[in-house]
Amino acid sequence: MKQAESERYEPGSDADFERLYRNTYRRIVGTLIPLVRDVSTAEDCAQETYERAYRGWAKWRPDAPVEAWLHRIAINVAISDRRYQRLRQAGEVIRRLGRPTPGTDPAVVAERSVVVQAMKKLPPKQAAALVLRHYHGYTNREIAAALDVPEQTVASRLAAARRHLQAVLGK
Amino acid sequence: MSDLERELEQELHRVLDAMAARPIPPRRAIPARVGFRALLGGTGTALAVKVLTGVAVAAAAVTVAGAATTGSLNPAVWGQAVSEQVIKCKQEVANSGQHGIGDCVSPFASQHGATVSSATRQHGNDNTNGNGSSNGSGNANSHSKDKIKEHTPPPKTSSTFPPTFDREPVDQVNPHRLVTISPQP
Repeated sequence: MKQAESERYEPGSDADFERLYRNTYRRIVGTLIPLVRDVSTAEDCAQETYERAYRGWAKWRPDAPVEAWLHRIAINVAISDRRYQRLRQAGEVIRRLGRPTPGTDPAVVAERSVVVQAMKKLPPKQAAALVLRHYHGYTNREIAAALDVPEQTVASRLAAARRHLQAVLGK
Repeated sequence: MSDLERELEQELHRVLDAMAARPIPPRRAIPARVGFRALLGGTGTALAVKVLTGVAVAAAAVTVAGAATTGSLNPAVWGQAVSEQVIKCKQEVANSGQHGIGDCVSPFASQHGATVSSATRQHGNDNTNGNGSSNGSGNANSHSKDKIKEHTPPPKTSSTFPPTFDREPVDQVNPHRLVTISPQP
């Protein structure tokens, strides 16, 4: 998760924040998709993530990994979104009823994936650990730094997440 | 790496890599509300509102106090008018041989006091901070209060005719005759 020279950012700089957005948006959305209900919600949460990040952009310290900081914000946004998920269920039903026939849209593929659907049922912190470990390829130490938790906590979250997935997927 | 982990990675890459290939949408505009909040919120704003209200109340109080003391919203004008009236009355008294100028000055003071009273009352009604109740009463008649005691009270302008006490008609017992109506052929 070390930053390259070309990915150095100056806190408070609008141009640098825009560059940060372009460089990290896809990875942040990739993290969020298994954590929230659907792709559109993941994209909304990503935008919310960058809004929160922008408010704290002037206070961000360049010595901290910027992507770890973004991931921490994104996971907190996903957790907040899940808290309000029940309130949105009525709107969800209406939205699904109005949806056109699915094609090869990658968003539809993502929402049809059994694994992704199983991950959505996990606690968001466990699902986040799985994504950071098995999609982004971060080590447990890097995940611990990103989430600001002990490395042992990451290991126990990953173990619990795998057990849940095994139970859900019948493996 | 277990089979589950390998399958998990493959599936995540299959699904999420396709998502990552989509174009990046423009970043959502962030409303600049910090400055607005600083302008409209906080203790500084509350203090400023209180100070401004205090200044407005103080200005109104000074104006009304001046009117109550001098009898005019413009003290210079009122003082000059009284002086002129007193001089005029002294001359009239000297010519007519009467004692005292009270009878001469009093109507002027009453008339002017009524004018000032209505003006200050109007000023009090315009005041929206709730302090208007004590503004209008003023001491508009106090300039001539001692003199007015010797005179008959001014006629009330609200009613020009004395009240009448006409008796209301009273229904007598059985005042009407019974009328029988026969059906018309």
